[in-house]
Amino acid sequence: MELLLIPFVFALVAMIIPQKAVRGYALIGALVSVVVGVVHAVNYVPSAEYFSIVEACTTMMGGKLPFFMKYGYDGIGLTMVLLTNVIVFLILLSNYDNQSIAASKKFVALVFFMQFALLGVFLSLDGLLFYIFWELSLIPVFLIFLWFGAKGKRRALMKFFIYTFIGSLAMLFSLIYIRSYAPSFAIEDLVAAQLTTVSALWVFGGFFIAFAVKIPLFPFHTWQPETYTKSPMAGTMLLGALMLKMALFGMIRWMIPLAPEALHCMTEVIVILGGIGVIYAAIIAIKQNDMKTLFAYASISHVGLIAAGIIVLSLDALTGAMVQIVNHSFVAVGLFLAADIIDRRLGHRNLLELGGIAQQAPKFAFWFAVIIFAGVSVPLTSGFIGEFLLIKGIYGYNWMYGVLIGTTLILACVYSFRAYQLSMFGPSKGFEFPDLTWAEWLSFFIVAIVVVFLGVYPQFLIDMVEPGLQKLIEIVNVK
Amino acid sequence: MSVEQLLPLVLLLPLIGGFINGVFGNKLPKVVVGSLATLLVAGSFFIALSIFFQLDQAVEVKLFSIISLPDLTLNAKLLADNLSIWMTLIITGIGSLIHLFSMGYMSHDPGYRKFFTYLNLFIFSMLILVLGSNYFMLFFGWEGVGICSYLLIGFHYADEQKGFLNGIAARKAFIMNRVGDLGLLIGLFLLLMQFGTLEYSEIAAVVTAEDFVNPTWMMFGITMCLFIGATGKSAQIPLFTWLPDAMAGPTPVSALIHAATMVTAGIFLTVRSNYLFELAPDTQKVMLYIGLATSLVAAFIAMRQNDIKKVLAYSTVSQLGLLFVALGLGAYTAAMFHVTTHAFFKALLFLGSGSVIHAMSDEQDIRKMGGLKKYIPVTHWTFLIGTLAITGFPLLSGFYSKDEILGYAFAESIPLYLILMFSVLLTAIYMFRMYFLVFHGEFRGSDHQKHHLHESPANMTVPLIILAILSVFGGVLNLPGLFLHDQAHYMTHLYEHNVAGMNLIHMEHLPSNTIMVLMAVAVISCLAVLAISYQVYVKKKSLPKEDAQLTGWEKVSANKLYFDEIYTALFVKPIEWLSEKGYRFFEIVFLNGIVFGVAKGFETAGEVVKKWESGRVNWYVLWMVSGIVGLIIYYLVKF
Repeated sequence: MELLLIPFVFALVAMIIPQKAVRGYALIGALVSVVVGVVHAVNYVPSAEYFSIVEACTTMMGGKLPFFMKYGYDGIGLTMVLLTNVIVFLILLSNYDNQSIAASKKFVALVFFMQFALLGVFLSLDGLLFYIFWELSLIPVFLIFLWFGAKGKRRALMKFFIYTFIGSLAMLFSLIYIRSYAPSFAIEDLVAAQLTTVSALWVFGGFFIAFAVKIPLFPFHTWQPETYTKSPMAGTMLLGALMLKMALFGMIRWMIPLAPEALHCMTEVIVILGGIGVIYAAIIAIKQNDMKTLFAYASISHVGLIAAGIIVLSLDALTGAMVQIVNHSFVAVGLFLAADIIDRRLGHRNLLELGGIAQQAPKFAFWFAVIIFAGVSVPLTSGFIGEFLLIKGIYGYNWMYGVLIGTTLILACVYSFRAYQLSMFGPSKGFEFPDLTWAEWLSFFIVAIVVVFLGVYPQFLIDMVEPGLQKLIEIVNVK
Repeated sequence: MSVEQLLPLVLLLPLIGGFINGVFGNKLPKVVVGSLATLLVAGSFFIALSIFFQLDQAVEVKLFSIISLPDLTLNAKLLADNLSIWMTLIITGIGSLIHLFSMGYMSHDPGYRKFFTYLNLFIFSMLILVLGSNYFMLFFGWEGVGICSYLLIGFHYADEQKGFLNGIAARKAFIMNRVGDLGLLIGLFLLLMQFGTLEYSEIAAVVTAEDFVNPTWMMFGITMCLFIGATGKSAQIPLFTWLPDAMAGPTPVSALIHAATMVTAGIFLTVRSNYLFELAPDTQKVMLYIGLATSLVAAFIAMRQNDIKKVLAYSTVSQLGLLFVALGLGAYTAAMFHVTTHAFFKALLFLGSGSVIHAMSDEQDIRKMGGLKKYIPVTHWTFLIGTLAITGFPLLSGFYSKDEILGYAFAESIPLYLILMFSVLLTAIYMFRMYFLVFHGEFRGSDHQKHHLHESPANMTVPLIILAILSVFGGVLNLPGLFLHDQAHYMTHLYEHNVAGMNLIHMEHLPSNTIMVLMAVAVISCLAVLAISYQVYVKKKSLPKEDAQLTGWEKVSANKLYFDEIYTALFVKPIEWLSEKGYRFFEIVFLNGIVFGVAKGFETAGEVVKKWESGRVNWYVLWMVSGIVGLIIYYLVKF
């Protein structure tokens, strides 16, 4: 309960604190959540039960509360909770020097509110509750985008909103539809529902549309580059690092266990769509000149791989997917931060006009390089562990898909190193470029520490998520 | 201390060096940074040496497990056997000499601290590569050295003239290596599918068991994938063009990474997996021909290169081709022998060229050198020894190692031997051409350069002298059975003792007479080339032509057989085209078009429906009535 309440309270209080203290307040608020999350993680005992920790408000409040207030977590959910809290902290920290945003009460309140909605999504054990939080998370992102976005945002904003909203409606339809087969919206009832293949396809399809838009999978991605580019950096980070993880998490927690009967028709489709996304987006990214757009396409490429890995449902690939979900969040924060640092200092992000930054800002060059290497999944970073397991899983499903998707290893290098080289290397182009501030430095540092730690010792994460993933595979096999 | 305790230390020392220099380096004086880096690598060398002498059976040391899932366990585990320790000795031994050399060579460079950090990290990655006990660790090191190589090739990225190109060269190296890495990665998946493990010892145990049934296609697939990985890192056709460009890096880097150690990773991988390759004769054939072709092509290109480092780079590619011929023939020990001697003399030649470049105020064009022998005598003599060693001058190290491979080629087939011999001959021709053009004749550089000519300081010449001694006597490591029968085939015995699979490989030894004849042929051809080169370049003072005057084969050679142009046309351009057109037409026009089309459709529909909502009751009544009539008609027709 406190996991959810803390960000909510911080969001409310943010509106009434003095202007001077906003930035510090934001960091402290985020840190409290991180600490609470860590306490939960330390006390967590992995178990083979579906959900080790379940809190139902119904019992707490004398059985008088609405039926859907049921939430809890297993290792997967807990990982996502921890991830959310740390990433929110990083987002606030990395924006610390961006006065126009970080010192705004509205902004801080919205970020905490977003955190509240995200945690709700990851903790819900009830279909309706999940849906409500899912929709709730749209509001803060929408407002951040509206109030702090770049020029030309309205068009992108409408596109983004309509896209995701239609997706959500499809999911609502699915939920109501499967509810007609189950006594309640509680997850175990929904999982226990017996569906025919056709009805399973309807359920699966609704979820799939919602998730495919949010992830986004090819060809539902056209809202994403424009939105990422036009939204303020904090919004891009929220979208790229956390919001799309709701969809990947949703696949694992809801879509697959609820309607596994549809898998034999849908697995191939999703693997192919994911695979096309991996290669297509990577190729498009090669010639992009706006750094943020480039990283937006890179993100499509990476998440396509995760989606494809999840759906093949082997333990290796699922584990890889979880590692990669975490890795991608951190790397996305790092990459978008790098793009924003350049933007903050120079007022643009056009690769063709950049160059020679490494000489003037060696610290920035170093940390940016670390993030780029993590982005192309070199060993000793979690990206490598994630992609190794994912590609292995997909390879085991169908070796040709594995090889084709494996080309991401090469293509990712092409666009990442192009971006890095054009911006950082070469002789100086005559502009001033101050090096990192402490907040930016610390953000990069945390990202790098996490990524390298998980790259060397991923077992830490694997131990946490494995029972949950085993359970998922078991559910699918039983059905 | 026991091997188990010492082994992690070998790895740890360079890592500590990299860490200290990376984090605190800018607070330390240069001398401390350089000496610390050098001493730690030297420390690794001596620890490895002590392991080498006390090692009997192969030893494995488990550090921790990286991934542990029910059907997939990947461990961080080290393996010490004579092969891995041998490689470790080369890496840390030559590595520490090159560190020492760099202390002088890089002394005026503003990136001094960064340079030593990267070098130490490179040594660390390379040691993971060779000391790991499974393919997963190998892959860790494999990519790790790729990163260090990237960073070091692009080291002078801020240079006014060449900075941008240096960056491009670094990127090219990394991307081309990645192509090979994908092959290797798929090889790993295949190994996992077939054996369920990536541990060398477990795979070797399965494969070498009596009752193992060879799954021919699987073995072919696995070994081909491993070989594709090797073509990337060890610069074989079709993935070799990055290596000459990699010469953009500082010269000690070329010596360490792109001559002595990293590029031999592919050879190490093959020797390590010898028992797999033995089961896939088709792959061995492929390897043989690719190696042969690479050896010839690179030697041909080297004939008309005028950049001192480019010549050496193509020479390295050519020698690596020779090594793959040996591996294709199953002569693993011979290959390792040549890897060792090649590491000696190629590191020597590269460092020598570095000393020349240093003396020539960063000039690399051999057309602007000449007559340097009297200005830089130590460099000259050591460079001469290196040149003689690589051309197979009698009794120098290259002579033995090359002859052993040639001998196996002869035993396989005579045409193969002749082609290989031709490649060896080309090597002698371009190496002597370079040697004479650089050190003999008149000085052709500018007055400014002439004024600055100076012999390098002791920390640069001492490594040269040590490497020269090794290049001369390196041959004793694996003498042929001809002389000193008791000491012969030292390396062969060493590897057969505890390297998995090696004791099962028996190479036919040629009769002594044949060996004598082959040696005589090699010696005579080497001496003949030496004599002719002397005539041409010293007596007749013939000089390389200007680029514009080149015709025929010379033009083709100078233009590197147009490989880069062909690759650009085949791969780079189409992908860039796809990226641009795909974005402009598919992404923007087509996909976005659909989305806006749908939106537009709703809008139009709205416009139409809006008209129905007119607010006039008579229209509504009309619609209602027609609806009811329609329903009635429908039911009448239906029943």
